Amino acid sequence: MRQAGIYSGILAGGRTGPHLLPLARIKKIMKKSGDNVNMISGEAPIVFSKACELFIEELTRRSWMVAMQRKRRTLHKEDVASAVITTDIFDFLVNLVSADSTNPTPFASVAMETVLESS
Amino acid sequence: MEDNMAAGASNAHDDDDDDNYIREQERLMLPIANVGRIMKQILPPNTKISKEAKETMQDCVSEFISFVTCEASEKCRKERRKTVNGDDVCWALETLGFDEYAGPMKRYLHRYSEHDQADHRANQEKG
Repeated sequence: MRQAGIYSGILAGGRTGPHLLPLARIKKIMKKSGDNVNMISGEAPIVFSKACELFIEELTRRSWMVAMQRKRRTLHKEDVASAVITTDIFDFLVNLVSADSTNPTPFASVAMETVLESS
Repeated sequence: MEDNMAAGASNAHDDDDDDNYIREQERLMLPIANVGRIMKQILPPNTKISKEAKETMQDCVSEFISFVTCEASEKCRKERRKTVNGDDVCWALETLGFDEYAGPMKRYLHRYSEHDQADHRANQEKG
């Protein structure tokens, strides 16, 4: 019951501190992730809100190191792409950052390539 | 498109907000303002972030959520459980190489759980 308590505590409180990211939106993204995603507990989006914050911080930090090497004070898309390509745990993002801006979804573009190659 | 450009000059800011909103709803992403804020907090004070960089980050975060959720829900499927819970998400994060996040996240959850335990004790004293 601790799990239910965490969630209701945060909803009722607000004095526990605001989440930086909207929980309902996180939940929608989770639901859309795959066919076998059924039910999502109350605290799963809360775990994600922190995890996403850490993810953004890490990717931003690494992107910034690239920008600095290139002697710039503005972070550009290419810096993020470089950080993705050079970090092992960000492998799942490689197609996303190198895809066309018109077709950013990696799974869709990979699937399309497969279909075209086999036809 | 031409109509937008004709009216564009005075409505430039609104158009940007609309564009962001449409993009976020259609491709289900976290709001660019929130994402941008987290990025800014981590960077030195006199640095800038291009809009494209923020948009790329939005894409990456959504992909991150999907990637981890799929792993977590696959675990649930194998264990014949219907509900993806916080532990499943933590497990998936560690499995996929994000084990460095585990420490801060457990502290984060512990902070909320402490609050919850305090409430629980307070409620018990009342009852």
